Amino acid sequence: MSRVRPDRSIRVDAGDRCLRGQFSAMASPCEVLVDSDDIVAAERLTSLVADEAWRIEDKFSRYSPGNIIDRINTAGGEGVQVDDETAQLIDFSVTLNELSDGRFDITSGVLRRVWRFDGSNNIPTRHAVSDVMKHIGWHRVDWTSPILAMAPGMEIDLGGIGKEYAVDRCAGLLRNTTDAACLINFGGDLVATGKPRLRDAWQVGIEALNAQEQKSDRLVNLVIGGLATSGDARRFLMHNGIRFSHILDPTTGWPVPDAPRSITVAADSCTQAGMLSTLGMLKGAQAEAFLDAQGVQFWCNRGDGAVP
Amino acid sequence: MKNTDKISITAALTAATCTLLGTTALQPVQAQEEPGWDFNTSLLYYAESDDRVQDLSLKTLSRRTFVDDRILSLGLTVDALTGATPNGALPQSFPQTFTKPSGKNTFTTPPGEFPIDDSFRDTRVAISADWEQPLGRLYAMNVGVSASAEYDYLHLGVNAKLSRDFNNRNTTLSGGFAFASDQLDPVGGVPDPLTQMRNVRDDDDGNGGRASNDSKEILDLVLGITQVMSRNFLMQFNYSYSDSSGYLNDPYKILTSVDPITGEAVPVPQIPGTEGPSHLNYYENRPDTRSKHSLYTQGKYYMNGKVLDASYRYMTDDWEIDSHTIDMRLRWPIGDDKYLEPHLRFYTQTAAEFYQISLVDDGQPLPEYASADYRLADFDAITAGLKFGWKTGGGNDMSVRLELYSQSGNVSPSQLIGSQADQDVYPDMDAIIFQYSYMFGK
Repeated sequence: MSRVRPDRSIRVDAGDRCLRGQFSAMASPCEVLVDSDDIVAAERLTSLVADEAWRIEDKFSRYSPGNIIDRINTAGGEGVQVDDETAQLIDFSVTLNELSDGRFDITSGVLRRVWRFDGSNNIPTRHAVSDVMKHIGWHRVDWTSPILAMAPGMEIDLGGIGKEYAVDRCAGLLRNTTDAACLINFGGDLVATGKPRLRDAWQVGIEALNAQEQKSDRLVNLVIGGLATSGDARRFLMHNGIRFSHILDPTTGWPVPDAPRSITVAADSCTQAGMLSTLGMLKGAQAEAFLDAQGVQFWCNRGDGAVP
Repeated sequence: MKNTDKISITAALTAATCTLLGTTALQPVQAQEEPGWDFNTSLLYYAESDDRVQDLSLKTLSRRTFVDDRILSLGLTVDALTGATPNGALPQSFPQTFTKPSGKNTFTTPPGEFPIDDSFRDTRVAISADWEQPLGRLYAMNVGVSASAEYDYLHLGVNAKLSRDFNNRNTTLSGGFAFASDQLDPVGGVPDPLTQMRNVRDDDDGNGGRASNDSKEILDLVLGITQVMSRNFLMQFNYSYSDSSGYLNDPYKILTSVDPITGEAVPVPQIPGTEGPSHLNYYENRPDTRSKHSLYTQGKYYMNGKVLDASYRYMTDDWEIDSHTIDMRLRWPIGDDKYLEPHLRFYTQTAAEFYQISLVDDGQPLPEYASADYRLADFDAITAGLKFGWKTGGGNDMSVRLELYSQSGNVSPSQLIGSQADQDVYPDMDAIIFQYSYMFGK
């Protein structure tokens, strides 16, 4: 796969009553809003955040040759020793795998070989799906921290955790560096570190689609904490009039039936928000009931404009 | 869903996240969805003592917040007014008859009472629209329009404000203006200033050849600075200039013309077959321009949940009215979802240079300007009130407010002639204000 060399520059300009640093990382537009008028400080804070985001991207991207993920995925059945940070992320994914009865699985990425969510009607054959399922399942992995070994043909992908983890890591760096309230937003996964002085909260728009597929944004006032969205209202497959969501269940290899188009969750951290929204998506028709039971604030978008 | 599920998943996820992020505790999330619209509605009852003015006012302010702090506010107020204020004539030891403003009939005031035309009933409807939005990193702006209508008054106004943040957003400077164009259509037409109160007449339009309406324009300019003094202390200073021009009289206000020795109202010879005032009265006249300067300062001090809000205003104008206003509120929380807010306000003003309690019938020419409107006199006023607010089960805010207002005038003894010294010449007034407010989002 040929890749365009990523743009590793930052820009700081004027946002609405704040300073806004921008850069690209993890295939997403990223921004840091700083409640300050000190442009030098805002540049320094944006660099700090961007460097951390790029570090995490380089280290855990499944596209970077030679990184730890590449070494694990190309080990050909050999055990690979991982560093502390990778081990912690793998341990975290193991907890999620248990909490979701196997539906959250970092080995599920190979399903992408047969499923392409491009709005088309290209449904894979049952045979193709069951073929690729042989390479999926955390229970097939031999993980004894810090050594990981798995069969050739299997792959792990920390993309389901990486962005939220990066947002929280960057928020921690900002909290230790500045008193100014900041908002970090990596492509819709975000954290606010405090109340901006002249406003009651940071305002975050959540994109929702109504029954006519038109955008109807909702506004959330976020003072502190994380907000993350799983799903993408526009990624799906249509086959025989049935919409297949792009949320795949790694225990079946097929899309989760009746999954919402997207779910946004508010939680103490971006990581918790992201994991709860992902677990919600995997619950399909029971997404709302599951999130209600967790006692979290969430916005579930089923494309009918009905958001609780 | 089983309860154990919730506990195990939430707790396990929190523990795993803390381990992953290397922290022991996370600050709890504070997030709230912005309602599509939020509404602030209130019902206010205002009543003056001695059955003077009563007002029942219903007010709604609807606010819609859009992305990027853009806010649309729409206001609607409906007032039902009854009663009237004293017409400016002095009480006498004998009955007095006056022609009503309509010019169609008369009313008689018993001895010892301030003359009030009690046929006054009015409904006022006011609407407003405001748009607020940031302009880039440091600026914010606000534009608005307003209109109100009563049976004898029409107001149209526009306003705009621009503010800019400085000093790492600890200082905000703002400048704004408001322009209003008001038209008066007094019942019975616009009286000619300093002419005698007319007799009852029976012409077609009831105006008796008077102009049916007149107008005034008001321009207000405001310059302000808001300064964050510390984490819990915010101060604001404003200078404002207001310029009014046009018809500034109150078309319903008159002055009694009195005998230079006794100080009593001068009787008018009654011509058989006519109906009209029993005594000599003149319609008031004020200058047709007025400019006011005022300085305002406000401090808000936050002390563990309590908020002290105190302000002072000094106003001076070229009618020689100087006023001072001190206003204090203390918001005192009771538990998490209730609060008490005592309110005290002191107001004092000097009289307009042309304010006089009566005109003197001594054969000398009348002054160029004269008014006996008690609102232009030297007076003091106190407002004392208490507000109680609470959160409803649905998370909305409700409050009730009760306030008492008391106004008393100071007429210089040098103005008093003859028997006026033994009489009440200033219509002191008490009023009661009750308000119920309900704020909710949808």
